[in-house]
Amino acid sequence: MPGGWVGRPLPLKEDGRLVAGRGRFVDDLGRPRLLHAAMLRSPHAHARIVAIETREAETLPGVFAVLTGAEAAARSGPVRPLIPTTAVVPDYCLAVDRVRHVGEPVAAVAAVDRATSEDALERIRVEYAPLPVVVDPELAIRPGAPLLYPELGTNVVWHDTLTYGDVDAAMGRADGVLRERFAIQRYASTPLETFGGIAEYDPGTDVFEFWTNDQRPGLTISILAASLGVPQSRVRLSCPDIGGAFGNKRRPAYLLICALLARKTGRPVKWIEDRLENLTALMHACNGIMDVELAYRGDGTVLALSVRDIADEGKNLITPTQHNLIKLGNIANGYRIPAIRYEAWSVLTNKCPSGANRGIGKPFMCFAIERAMALLARRLGLDPAELRLRNYVTADQMPYTTPPGAQYDSGDYPATLRLALERFDYAGRRDEQARARREDWLLGIGIATSVEPAGTNLASYEIITGKRAASGSAEAAMVRMEPDGHVRVALGDPPSGQGYETVVAQIVADELGLDPEAVTVARGFDSTTTPWLYLSGNYSNKFSVTDVGAVVGAAARVREKLLRLAAHRLEVAVADLELGGGAVAVRGAPDRRLSFAELARTAYADVLGLPPGEEPGLESRHAHQNPLAKPVDAERRVRSQLVFSNAAHCCLVEVDRRTGLVRILKYVVVHDCGRELNPLIVEGMVHGATAHGIGAALLEEFRYDDQGQLLTSTFVDYLKPTAMDVPLIEVGRLEHPSPVTPLGAKGVGEGGAIPGPAAVANAVEDALAPLGVVIRSLPITPERVWRWLSRGADSASPAR
Amino acid sequence: MPAPRERLAVRLTVNGGPVERVVEARRSLADFLREDLGLTGTHVGCEHGVCGACTVLVDGRSVRSCLLFAAQLEGASVTTIEGLTPAEGLSTLQEAFRACHAMQCGFCTPGMIVTTTELLADQSAPSTEEIREAISGNLCMCTGYVNIVRAVEQAAAGRAAASGASA
Amino acid sequence: MKPAPFRYARAGSLAEATALLAAGHGETKLLAGGQSLVPMLNMRLVRPAVLVDLNGVRELEGIEPTPDGGLQIGALTRHAALAASPAVRERAPLLAAAARHVGHAAIRNQGTLGGSVAHADPAAELPAALVALDAQLRATGPRGTRVIPASEFFRGLLTTALEADEILTGAHVPAQEPGWGFVEIARRPGDFALAGVAAVVCSASDSPSRVEHARLVGFGIGDRPLRLTGAERLLAGAALDAQTAARAGAAAGPDCDPPDDVHGSADYRRHLATVLTERALLQALPRLPRRR
Repeated sequence: MPGGWVGRPLPLKEDGRLVAGRGRFVDDLGRPRLLHAAMLRSPHAHARIVAIETREAETLPGVFAVLTGAEAAARSGPVRPLIPTTAVVPDYCLAVDRVRHVGEPVAAVAAVDRATSEDALERIRVEYAPLPVVVDPELAIRPGAPLLYPELGTNVVWHDTLTYGDVDAAMGRADGVLRERFAIQRYASTPLETFGGIAEYDPGTDVFEFWTNDQRPGLTISILAASLGVPQSRVRLSCPDIGGAFGNKRRPAYLLICALLARKTGRPVKWIEDRLENLTALMHACNGIMDVELAYRGDGTVLALSVRDIADEGKNLITPTQHNLIKLGNIANGYRIPAIRYEAWSVLTNKCPSGANRGIGKPFMCFAIERAMALLARRLGLDPAELRLRNYVTADQMPYTTPPGAQYDSGDYPATLRLALERFDYAGRRDEQARARREDWLLGIGIATSVEPAGTNLASYEIITGKRAASGSAEAAMVRMEPDGHVRVALGDPPSGQGYETVVAQIVADELGLDPEAVTVARGFDSTTTPWLYLSGNYSNKFSVTDVGAVVGAAARVREKLLRLAAHRLEVAVADLELGGGAVAVRGAPDRRLSFAELARTAYADVLGLPPGEEPGLESRHAHQNPLAKPVDAERRVRSQLVFSNAAHCCLVEVDRRTGLVRILKYVVVHDCGRELNPLIVEGMVHGATAHGIGAALLEEFRYDDQGQLLTSTFVDYLKPTAMDVPLIEVGRLEHPSPVTPLGAKGVGEGGAIPGPAAVANAVEDALAPLGVVIRSLPITPERVWRWLSRGADSASPAR
Repeated sequence: MPAPRERLAVRLTVNGGPVERVVEARRSLADFLREDLGLTGTHVGCEHGVCGACTVLVDGRSVRSCLLFAAQLEGASVTTIEGLTPAEGLSTLQEAFRACHAMQCGFCTPGMIVTTTELLADQSAPSTEEIREAISGNLCMCTGYVNIVRAVEQAAAGRAAASGASA
Repeated sequence: MKPAPFRYARAGSLAEATALLAAGHGETKLLAGGQSLVPMLNMRLVRPAVLVDLNGVRELEGIEPTPDGGLQIGALTRHAALAASPAVRERAPLLAAAARHVGHAAIRNQGTLGGSVAHADPAAELPAALVALDAQLRATGPRGTRVIPASEFFRGLLTTALEADEILTGAHVPAQEPGWGFVEIARRPGDFALAGVAAVVCSASDSPSRVEHARLVGFGIGDRPLRLTGAERLLAGAALDAQTAARAGAAAGPDCDPPDDVHGSADYRRHLATVLTERALLQALPRLPRRR
């Protein structure tokens, strides 16, 4: 392919504006006569709203409107869930008669500025009747637990068992079964830019317009239109630069609140979440418990896996079971496990709603599986790397379908681990560890490997809902050659730091024989000009498996048209032409050439020069769906995620024997995401995702007391990794292209976040191995390490 | 003796130019820069001084603009990311950030540039550990800091090479 | 997160500041560095009617050597200035070290000695350092000026000996003995300390490795900086070496009364205090004057 832009580590176009502070994020946007909103939030984890009095707030100078739940319910429909479980109860954008987590929005104010809105909040009187609170998911499952929705009769939104293969028989003939219980804490990716938006209503055209950093515009537009009772053709939504998303940037309820305030006041209304609101009420990854049973032969071959998985969803009727489904789809984690049973609960508690987070459930799944493998290795006296090598799906077995239906498309998992061990100097580190032990230093080595899927096939929700509404995985793009021969691209997936403006330009540049400088990728998203589907958006690592196909498809059609136009004008066959350097020329006769600008003139201006039957213009809109997505089959197998990268993490830690502080001395990642479209972007993703994994392993935890009060609601108490906490992450790579994506690329955005927690936990446990410590939960705080060192015994039961 | 006021006039210098405004006493410097002056390069990430996104220079020193009130800045000189960016192109430090892909979403980046500008003004050849410590008060959720450290090292080396070349 | 409304006044002198504070009838807060106060304002945890800005009060500035070999330090001195000042590094290196440990650069550039001391967070570095240094704090109010020893200044959680109408104007730090150590442990560098120890060790003039007396001050391990008197007693008259340091560390636990919170339990903090006492003493050991 001429140009060869794809695959080059091209510095990013967008970095030029971002480093100069010239990004435009949603809080940088204004509108004429803009008002600012603030949210009144419940101080109780669970309570009835007895009465709400807003008069004093309404009359505060500078206040233009106050909105309560009752009015919201009268003027809007409930927020439609993404995963409509059988537990469908109306969930309005504001609490109506009941609050179910601390921080749940109860009322909203629009005023001349945010400070005045917050002043007004203090003048709203709400009378609450507190109700019993449930924060422990195991308690929430039991009969007699306080119910978030009495009309459901239960807090369990989903409970089901899926069995693939004869698990009991495998357990029966196994040489042993490892049984262990693991827990994971609540944490979240917490992008530095908080969530927010502006809503404006034009009564003349009856159009609602939104500017927001919502990362799933396709989904959100449908929810907003349905709730507001307007057709989608009269909802416009655009996204500017987004300051990180990682799954968290999505809460249509807030945009609805702004829309209702905008309609009520006749002015545009902006609301930007502050950090307290973000940490308290936006989105946490599910905490939970996984009971793992791993049946094995004496040589370490895994024969069966049985898992009981309790996912604590908080107050989440929008996307419950999402974590369960993703775990189910990835549970084999790259191993050849012939029989798998998965029993899951998705349970509501009086806590912040759960939702998508980097990895959605896979970090916990990987923690449980990789920890189990580490324990199995110890039990059998096998080297942990050797145990894994005996159990991986191998390259010659690709494509390989796991019992729940995931299809690994390509990859060499053993080679990935071997390269990681080599880069890490595994043997040398073991020697170092032995020397350290003699000198009373605690060094530990942790290994964790995982698959990293890309794309989500929404048909998988049928496992939960029993019916198919949305399905597949797809994205849309437009490639337009402008009348001057330059190219403009728009993608239905708004980026939040993944470099789409550059990598998409590289892809189009290769397709059209241009320099990426001549390709402008529109910033963000605009529903009136960007092609989009319900499935459009930034989630599940889907860029490589859907967006690329949309871009390549659209660019290919423009390319074909350019060739047809040139063939017509030059009076040759298309086969005699070649495209490159911003022009189309006759092969072997370079002077017989037409520039793109010249061809565009024909297409847009001199349309009588078009070939017969050819439409004017040089624009193509194309949507690509990933061909691997299929419906759930009769055995309840499904490809919930579609294309599989993989990685191996090796981690060396030092534990301070006196204080329990853990320091990461060395961290090596070898990953394989197929063809790397831009290695600079890829490496950055690996660094950043791994940092998320380290944060989850050592620092981050949303802690609640037994009354559902969040004890870690600021960045003073909820600890994110800093530059002193993340070591140099050394990255090696293999490239096994995917046979099922147009350019052979696979997903890379979630990667490091998945095995990171397991790698660090395995390393700390390895450091403490002489003491017989077993690590069953996260985060690994220095105090917990100290207690293990003091007691020299197994860790306590997993924390909630 | 000055009477306490809820609104007051403040005169200061921002990015080298004089600014005079009447502000509410409780208006933070961050909000003043962003909303009153339209300098949206400075970002707000936490409003309690921890994340560092709002870091600017006041009288040449890095400070959290979310923890200062505009009213306090009478006579002060403030430099934001806009003031650290040349009229054409990028500074050496910014160019190093760009070349090393030391950002992804870009939200922490202005604060990082301010902090590392101060670091390199104080220390011409900081070690890797010193760089990590200097930026440990600026949270980044995207990069894992690896490329940011590289960029600062590159910028320091570039300046050293430049001053060596001109010596 | 915007503060509740307040009125603002910038004091041009100490007299103006005192008058404004007195006129506020308890509804006035003083603004120095603001690194502790402004987050509380932003979260509406405090809602003063008036904020008096001290940053223009020249009388509160300055680091001046005093004839006794010590320093007179103005309350408005920024942590960064303390850390960098040659005079502080020479005459009170413990204080410079403590200042280096405060937060991050941007916090140190703005936060002040006076602010940190008056706010009296039990996990703060400077209060503990001043107690270890036997500093004298000076306060001014409508009833005049008085001197309060640091050892008597910190009364409890966020509570000091300052009256509501008094302003802390500065600290006098006597010449510091050469044997000193400063260590702290936090979840992340720059965070509030889980525990810390500021140590000053005075050796006997005739026997430099023999401890005459020591001032060991723990922070983060009580509702205020606490003298670890059990460890101090153990050290008095003893030769300071690795074993003595370890024994002194072990003796530090009972003098702690640490809090339980999301970052650490009381037990853990108490344990850290024993480790940090030992480590602070080991830092001090090579600094003791050698026998000639």
